[in-house]
Amino acid sequence: MKLVIDESRCKGCNLCVLVCPYGIFREGTELNSRGIVSPVLDRPERCTNCRLQALYGRMLCGVCHMICPDQAIAWVEERPFEPHRVEVEF
Amino acid sequence: MIAPDWFREDRLPHIYCTGCGNGTVINCTLAAVEEMGWKRDETVFVSGIGCSSRAPGYILTDSLHTTHGRALAFATGVKMARPDFNVVVFTGDGDLAAIGGNHFIHACRRNVDMTVVCMNNHIYGMTGGQGSPTTPPGAISTTTPYGASEPAFDLAELAVAAGANYVARWTSYHVKELTKAVAAGMQTPGLAFIEVRTQCPTNYGRHNKLRSVPAMIEHLRSHAMLVEKRDRLVREGRPVPEDTFTVGELVRRNRPAMGVRR
Repeated sequence: MKLVIDESRCKGCNLCVLVCPYGIFREGTELNSRGIVSPVLDRPERCTNCRLQALYGRMLCGVCHMICPDQAIAWVEERPFEPHRVEVEF
Repeated sequence: MIAPDWFREDRLPHIYCTGCGNGTVINCTLAAVEEMGWKRDETVFVSGIGCSSRAPGYILTDSLHTTHGRALAFATGVKMARPDFNVVVFTGDGDLAAIGGNHFIHACRRNVDMTVVCMNNHIYGMTGGQGSPTTPPGAISTTTPYGASEPAFDLAELAVAAGANYVARWTSYHVKELTKAVAAGMQTPGLAFIEVRTQCPTNYGRHNKLRSVPAMIEHLRSHAMLVEKRDRLVREGRPVPEDTFTVGELVRRNRPAMGVRR
């Protein structure tokens, strides 16, 4: 599963930044095409729902999804062999 | 988890301001409805007038958008005509406490079998930030420019006194607890009243030094006190902080209810 923010719905209230226990959401800096600064995702593969939702078969944390007043946060199935950004830690 | 098929996707994004808590309350209510497993054809959402009452317009069920303050009267009618329907009322503080106050106490007295979710944002948000019956003392609004001088209405305590079967209060920060409370209210026969303190950064926070959405949520979170903790403080004779409000399940009882499905 993959965490996505629907840019066409997000109004940039940054409530997800406040509630995420993993600190995945960061306040954005750039305006999008609708003139809204929506949050950016910082290594979303750390999200417990992305990793374990299929294993447990239910929603695990989901606080950002519940608190988002604009219904902009969702988890979608990944397509096979989707490119990932890999960070090498030394 | 809210099933996306409960939303009218073509109506989204909704008209609420940035950071308005009403969207969160819709999420939690729909999650509770999903948990209950209600069918879409047998669920009716009723609302009055106000920001909060736009909510049924974004939900893919039959709904009534009624006159100001009379949502509970219409909902009573729906329940009397079709007792097999599940009725949920979305209402705001100006709708429920000010113009619809009498309907509210009588619906609680009759104990009509429905769920009332009140989004209490302490202000008349849609009309430009006038003071409502729940504006806390000292808060600045467009009709109370020197600070509200009247004591505020405690809607949950009012519902307890009027005889509702289930009364709870949460804030829009407590999403999981709110979902559980709404689901518990839907399971209880009789009137279930859930007061949700929501943030209104545009018309309330802007005048009261809570301009940003996280500041307003933080204010709600830090001023909420669990009802168990309040009871413990009272029992031990310690002072309860002045500006806090209690959150949690205030009452759950089994008074005779009206319109319960046979």
